[in-house]
Order: sequence, then C-alpha cells, then structure tokens
Amino acid sequence: MPLLTIATFLPILGGLALIALPVRSARVAHGLSITVTGLVFLITLAIWSRGIVPGGFAQVEEIAWIPAIGAAYRLGLDGLSLPLVLLTSLLFLLSAIYSARISERVPSYVVLMLMLETASLGSFMALDGLLFYVFFEVSLVGMYFMIAGWGYEDRQRAALMFFLYTLLGSLPLLLAIIGLYLSSGTFDMRAWIDAPPLAGLGAMLALIAMLFTFAVKIPAFPVHTWLPAAHVQAPTAGSVILAGVMLKFGTYGLVRFALQMTPETFTRAGVVILAFGVFSALYGAFAALAQSDLKKMIAYTSVNHMGYVVMGVAVAALASDPAIRVVALDGAALQMISHGLVTGALFFLVGMLQDRAHIRDMGDFGGLLGRVPWLGWAFVVSAFASLGLPGLAHFPAEFQIFLATLNTQPWAVVAIIAIVVTAGLYLRAIAAVFLGEPNEKWAAMPDLGRREMLVIVPLLFLTVLVGVAPSWLLNMIHTTMASLSF
Amino acid sequence: MSFLALTLLAPLLSGLTILALRRAPEALALAGTVLGLIGAVGLFIAASDGTVEAVLPGLPDMPLRLVATPLTAVLALVVATVAVFVLTYATGYMAGDPEKARFFGTMLLFVTAMQGLVLAGDWIMLLAAWEMIGFASYLLIGFWHGRAGVASAATRAFLYTRSADLGLYLGAFLLIGVAGTSEISATLATTGAPALIAGLLMLVAAMGKSAQVPLQDWLQRAMAGPTPVSALLHSATLVAAGAILLIRTAPMMPGGALLAIGIVGGLTAVITGLIALAERDLKRLLAASTASQYGLMLVAIGAGVPIAALLHLIAHAAIKSSLFLGAGVFQHDREGTGLDTLAGAGRARPGIFTGFAIAALALAGIPPLAAFFSKDAIIAAALASTAAPWLLPLALAGSVLTGTYMGRALNVLWTGEAGPARTPVPFMAIGMGVLVALAAGLGFSFGALEHVLGAQIEKPGWIVPAMGLAVALGGLALGWFMAPARLLGPLLAPAQNGFTVAGGMDGLILRPSLSIAAACEAFEQRLLAAQVGLIRNLGLGTARLADRGDDTLFAFSIWIGQQSLRLGQDTRSIDTNFIDAAIFGLVRRIVEAGARARHLQSGLIHRELALTVIGIGLIVIVLLTAPHYF
Repeated sequence: MPLLTIATFLPILGGLALIALPVRSARVAHGLSITVTGLVFLITLAIWSRGIVPGGFAQVEEIAWIPAIGAAYRLGLDGLSLPLVLLTSLLFLLSAIYSARISERVPSYVVLMLMLETASLGSFMALDGLLFYVFFEVSLVGMYFMIAGWGYEDRQRAALMFFLYTLLGSLPLLLAIIGLYLSSGTFDMRAWIDAPPLAGLGAMLALIAMLFTFAVKIPAFPVHTWLPAAHVQAPTAGSVILAGVMLKFGTYGLVRFALQMTPETFTRAGVVILAFGVFSALYGAFAALAQSDLKKMIAYTSVNHMGYVVMGVAVAALASDPAIRVVALDGAALQMISHGLVTGALFFLVGMLQDRAHIRDMGDFGGLLGRVPWLGWAFVVSAFASLGLPGLAHFPAEFQIFLATLNTQPWAVVAIIAIVVTAGLYLRAIAAVFLGEPNEKWAAMPDLGRREMLVIVPLLFLTVLVGVAPSWLLNMIHTTMASLSF
Repeated sequence: MSFLALTLLAPLLSGLTILALRRAPEALALAGTVLGLIGAVGLFIAASDGTVEAVLPGLPDMPLRLVATPLTAVLALVVATVAVFVLTYATGYMAGDPEKARFFGTMLLFVTAMQGLVLAGDWIMLLAAWEMIGFASYLLIGFWHGRAGVASAATRAFLYTRSADLGLYLGAFLLIGVAGTSEISATLATTGAPALIAGLLMLVAAMGKSAQVPLQDWLQRAMAGPTPVSALLHSATLVAAGAILLIRTAPMMPGGALLAIGIVGGLTAVITGLIALAERDLKRLLAASTASQYGLMLVAIGAGVPIAALLHLIAHAAIKSSLFLGAGVFQHDREGTGLDTLAGAGRARPGIFTGFAIAALALAGIPPLAAFFSKDAIIAAALASTAAPWLLPLALAGSVLTGTYMGRALNVLWTGEAGPARTPVPFMAIGMGVLVALAAGLGFSFGALEHVLGAQIEKPGWIVPAMGLAVALGGLALGWFMAPARLLGPLLAPAQNGFTVAGGMDGLILRPSLSIAAACEAFEQRLLAAQVGLIRNLGLGTARLADRGDDTLFAFSIWIGQQSLRLGQDTRSIDTNFIDAAIFGLVRRIVEAGARARHLQSGLIHRELALTVIGIGLIVIVLLTAPHYF
C-alpha cells in the first residue's frame, strides 16, 4: 500500500470532504479534523514500523508525471525525514485537539489546517525537486491565511509580512532547483544527491540561493525578523505548527539540499555558515532576554535553537574526522525534533495562559504556580527542557552539537554562552509568572482541562523520553547519518 | 550490579511514587532512603573486592556508564547515610506543611541525582547528574515559592552554578575529543596542554558548585529553602559535587592546574571564613563556613593529596548536616535565625545544644572528633607540598577562622535568656543525634577507609597535630571571648558585604547581559524597519521595471508593490469572511476546472500537463485573488 501517498493526501481529501458536506457545523468540522489527523498519525506510525534503510531512501513511491522534463511524483523517506514526518503528524493531531475550542469560521480553519498538513508531510517526503517546491510554497499560503484569519490584534500586518518575506525568500530556491535541473536533466532529488550535478561557480550560486531561502525559513540572523511578528500574532495552533513543523523546512532543506546537493561548495563556505549559526544562536538568546511578551520570548528562543542546528550542519561539513561528522549530524537532526516537541509544548502552554488571561506580558502575572499547578509545572518542565536540562529533549542534541563543534572549530563553541542566557530568561519568566506572591487578579483562573491535558501530556512525555532514552530516535537518525556520503 | 541498581532506583522510584500518589510521603521517603542506604552499603562491600560496573544505552557510540570503585562507593555511602538521617529529621520538621509530598518527592530526586553523579562512569552521565542536582536544588530552594525573595534566591543559585557549569561542559568536550571515548577513567590518561586546559575548566565548574571565591555569594542566599534542604545541600550533595569532581579528576591534573586549585581553595577558606565571622545570621554563618571548608578541601587537592580532601568531605558531611539540623530546631523555637534572635536559644534545649556543640568542636578540629584527623591531613599535605609557602599559611588561617566563627556561634547560643521550656522534637532529635554521633566518631574509621581506598596518608610527626590543636583552640577562644567587630577591625564592613568587588556578579555579568539584550532589541527594531523598507522599494522597483515586461510578471510585481506599500501603512480592518470566500470560491473554480479538464482528455494535450497547469493555476489564483478580499 502506498502509505506515504495516503498520509500526504488524506488530510487535504478530508478538507475537500468537509467542503462537500451539506452541513458544516463546528462540531462536525472539529470531529473530522481530529479523526483525519488521528488517522494520519496512525499511518505515519505504520510507516515508521516499515523502517528505513542505510545509505538511501526507503519506501519510495513513484509515478510518472511529466516524463518529458524528468519530473515525477516521487515520495520516500530516510532517517532525516522519518522523524520529522512523525513529529509533523503528531503536532497536527495535537493542534486539532487543541483547536476544538475555536468557534469562529470553523470549517475554513479546519480546511486550512488540513491543507497545511498535506503540504508539510509532502515537503518532508518529496523526492522530486519540483514537487518539493510546490509543497513548500503551498504551506506558505496556508499559514498566511491562518495568521490573517485567526490571529490576534495586529494579524493583517504580521500575515502580510510573513507572506512577502517567505515568498521573496523562496524564489532563489526555485532558481537553484532550475539550475540543478538544467545541469542534470532530471528533477529526481536522489540523482542530485548521488551525483551532485553542479560544480564551481554554478554550485556556489546555487548554494547561496538555497542558503538564502532556508535562512529565511530557519530563520537565521539577519533574515529572522518575520518570525517574532508572525508568532506573536498567529493563533496558538498556528504558532505550534509554524515553530514545530515549518521552521524545520529550513533546517531540513539545509541538510537535504544545501549540504547533500552541493557538498563540496558547502564545505568551502562552511566557516561562513558556521559563523551565521553561532551569531544567530547568541543573538536569538540575547534578543529573547530583552522580551517581556511570553510568546515573543519563545519565538526568539527558536532563533537560538535553530542556530544550533545550523552550527551542527556546518560543523559536519567542516569535520575531517568521520566520527565527529556523524555526531554533529545526529545532534542537528535530533535538535530539530526536540525543538518541535519542546517549543510546541511552550506555545501551547502560553496559548492556554492567553486563553485564560487574554494577555501575554509576564509582568501582569505572578504566583500562578499555586493557582494552576498543572499549567505551571508543565511550563516549568518545558522551560527547563528548552534551556537544555539533561534528562529532557534538548540535552542530547545540544551535547552532540557542542561536542562536535569544540573538536572541529573550537572558536565556535563560544555559542555555548547562549545556554546560560536562555537559562536566565526562562528562570526570569518562571519567577515572574508562576512564583512569588499570588496576584489577586487571577484568583479564579482554572487549571488545565481534559482537552488541554490531552494536548500537553504527550508532548511532555516525549520530551522526557527523548531526554532520558534518546536511542530509539537517535538510532533511526544515526542509521542514515552514518551512511551519508557527501 | 543489583546493589548499584538499588542505590539509584530506590530513591528514584520512591520519589516518583510520592509525587504521583501524594500519600504517606514520610513513610515512602524513609523506605526509599533506607533501601538506598542498604544498596550503598552492599555496593561498598562489593566494590572493596573489585570494581562494579554497568553500561546503559546512551548516545550512539557513547553509552552511559555507572561505576563503583572504592572511591565512588564510599561517596555513595556518605550520600545515602546523610540522606536517611536528614529525611528522618525532616519528617518532624515538615510535619505541618501542606505541600510535604512535593518536598519529600523532590528531596528523593535530589538524592538520586547525587548518587548518579557520584557513581557516574562516563562524562555524559556525570554532566547530566551535575545539572539535575542544580535543577533539584532550584526546586528545593524555591520550595516556598509564594514567599517574597524565594524566587530570586532559587534563580540565583541555578544561574550561578549553570554559568560555572560551562567549564564542565567544555572540559568534558575537550577530554572526550582528545581521548575518543566518553569513559571517565580512560580520559584521565590525558596529558599535556589538553589536561591543563581541561583541569582549569573543571576548576571553574567546581568553583560554581562548591561556592569558591569569587562565586561564593549564591550559597549564602540559598537559605530561602527549608532547613533540611540546607542540611543536605551543604553536606553531601550540591556543594560537595564540586569537590568530588576535582577529587575524581585529580589523577589527570598537571602541576599548574593543581596550584590554581590550591590557591583558589586557600583564598576561599580565608575570605569566606571572614565572611562567616562577620555574619549576623546563624544559617548564613553556616553557609559561609561551608564554602570555607570546601576551600580547605581544595587546598588538599592542590597539594596533591586528594585523599585528605575526601576525608574532610566525609567528616564535614556529618558535621555540617548536624549543625544545620540544630540550627533548624532553634529556628523553629525562635522563628528566625538572626544571631540576636537566637541569643540563649541553646539553654532552652540543652540536648540539641550539646549536639550542636559537639559538631562545632568537631569542625574546629578538637581531638578526637572527626575533623581533627582530616584537618591534620590537610595541614600535613599543605606542609609537604611544593607550594607550601602559599598553601600552608592559607590553610592555617582558614583553620583559625573555623574555630573563631564556631566559638562565636556557641557563645551566642549559650549566652542570654533561655525562655520557656520547649516541647520535645523526637524525629528531629533522632535524625540529628545519629549525625552528631558520626561527626564525633567517624575519625576512628579513617585508617580502615584509607586501607580500602589503597591510599595511606603518611602519619605526620608531632608538629602537625600540635599546630592543628593550637589553631583550633586559639580560634575557639578568640571567637568565644572577643566580639567580631574587634577581631575584624577595618575588615568588618567589607566582610559583611561579602567582599563584593565592582558590584559582584550582578555588576560583572548580569547587568552587562541585560545591556547586550537591550542593544539587540534596539537593533532588532532598526533591522525590521530597514527590511520592510527594502521589500517595499524592491516591489515598487520591479513593478516599474516590469512595465514593459510580460503581463504575468507585471501583475505579480504590481501586486507585490501594492502589498509592500500596505505593509508600511496601517492596515485597515477587513471583512473577516474573506478567507471563507477564498476557500469556498476556490472550490467552485476547481470544480469548473475539473469539468473542463474532462474535455481536455481528447488526447491532444497530455493529461499530466493539464493537471500541472491546474496545479500551478491553483497557486496563482490564490495569490492573485488575495488582494481583492482585502
């Protein structure tokens, strides 16, 4: 059975079915959304059980599309994309459950979410350059409408900014894809990876184009400015998907396209890329420290965490010792998953806080831990995960990235200062919101309800599981990374 | 192997059970720690015969290891012992607290993390346990989180130690990289420049955890938590972690690193000793004393005799937990720990006071109490060291100060009105009593211990015990008879301020960090404005250029230009139904296009091509129709 194709298109088919339904009540729409995302999650588990193979793509599904130009419908998986696919289907399911509280224009909301899921799964599984680009762009449209339609106060401006930014940002990728096509005569990404078609100046130009696109998406300094604006205004589920899934397009592309398709040029530019990663990591941490809006603060920590991923990939390219290279890539890939779990949880929790208080500024809270212990402790655990506490999801990833960095480009390990800065900003947020004398204003705030528990508990469980016993996930990543030739 | 599991899992599982069930926390906690102690005893016996090891899955090619050598097993025994009696005491101390389940659960996690650190056989395990200890102490110091000042004390403790932890991270990365394995025993064979750099980095990490100068300030402020927390934290866990790290890595340390360790320790012993003498609060006095005693241990490590540091660590664990538990009883009675408040508190509880006094004399180094032996070992090590001109005066001064501040504390507790008789505190008395007995008698086991560890300390001649006894008695007499103001003279005011230089860590680290953050934020605003302007000009420019270009590009560019302009202006409110219209309008168009596509299957145009066109058309439609809905 073509499970990959089913997983990819089931959501959008669900969306179309909703459109076709004569009655589109909120209840039906939410029910359908949870059912479809739940089914997709189960299908991705089945895909996981089929496994991957070292040194290439597994479970490839291929249908001729435009044979004349070598474009085909090709889907497949390896140890880099499979964990991202699992993360995507999980976060969409949880977002669908969380979103059951939405009452405005529900059918449209659900259709957009489902369309986004198709685009996201498609982006991670596409093995055809053209197909990837189509999925990549469609996701952008979906997120634009999501922010513009269901966001907060200043949503129009934020949505527009997001859209223009990422649209202009993705045009260079199209040029790079065309360049790769022209020099190879096919859109098959496997061919591009096995025998990188570009060399010399062409490869450098293609790399710069790809780096620009992915830097916008990741986002890395200095093209990260759309992210805080978009996150602050996006609805909660939108923020979760944006941070948890869509930022990974950037880092996934960085490995899949930039590193694998222009490997030699990437190594030559490695130090510059590493420097951008280091600077992003530090800048994101310090910029986050300056925020008092919780959502904006978490948004900036994404710049920090994704900076580590860039560092890991650059270090892998620069490392001469194959063992160190694999450590760096394992760390970078694991960091993507950890960030999805932890930042997803944090955005959900801030959303839950905002649902109750209708504000997000940390100074307006205080002493909530006694009032809403579940919400409070969930936030404390997620925050400590985000600041890299051992036993929680970010630690194994960051440990590997920094270990490889120190032993390849020792200067770059200066980015480790950021782990103290993030510790400072999260502790400050916890102290301001949850500790101290209770603020009378929130004396009647209710603790997490059943629906919210259902959303947050799986994420916390996985955060602990990845932190304590990362091997089930790392083995999958390691299988591919150890066999990566570039 | 099974003892290894018991030592770690008993406290862990009972802690998790308490947190999950929220019932019978005292019984579960005692069961967990007693089982843990049984495990540690068994482990110690097993390790005396040969190393016990366990390998657990970790990162690829870097498994987690637990290892019980005589050294690590004896440390595990210390941790387990102190834990049992501190928690016994806590069952009395926390009896009335509504949140005691959280307290006992967190304490057990704390103990588990410490056992993980002590028994770690690879750097990842050690690093993980090291940070978990920081986290657990954050939760415990912040236990009464609703009270004023508690949040900042907990935050400060975690941030100080985490900043210094960077040293451990970097040192571990360096050693793993050089040795190609994460196993601690293998990496200790490192020599040359990497060993020196790693050694100094480890020292930084140890300075943070063991509150060595200039990172001593957080420890005194960490008194916001319940007293049993302080007792555990100062004796066998958090603060001990720093010294334990250095004791374990001592075989690798080259001369330069050892000298740095000795000097840092010696300076800390003196400076924090002065701070303790100037204190006006009993718990803060004890906290400063902890830093000072760990300074003495670092002197021993620096002098090349880590075994002396280990003995003092063991003696200090029993002594300092006794002192804190005693202070906790007085605190209960007088509802405060200020020395003025506590004047005469000892008279009201002669039993507790006797225990407190025995521990105080033991710390000062009066024979035959425990620290007499370990302090002599430290003085002997300093005397025999090549750096003796530096280390010996500092060690002796630190020892005099120990006697002085303990003498002063005893004097305060004994002089003054006794007040009314107090109700007995059985649990607290039992917990404290056992620890006092250990503080008194542990010294006699040191010979056997040295034998098990395979590191005999040379028995010094008469000069060292004579010096030790002289400084102890002299110090106690000074402290008992003379007020600190007269003793310290011009040093009083700086000592009371904790010898902060340039605003302390707040001035050196915190404020600069916040300024960098503010600068980033200001830059961020300018960057954003510049980029919005850039996109707008780009859009308008292309629109103008494309005037003569092809129609699609023209429309697209115009649209970009329009949108960009809008981005710069305030957006007007829009019809909230536009997205519904977009989606459902789109559907109508798809249906129509589908109908047309059926006609296209005549063979003239390739079906795939038609689908592609529709696909692209979809995107274009979405893009092009968007402006009309605004």
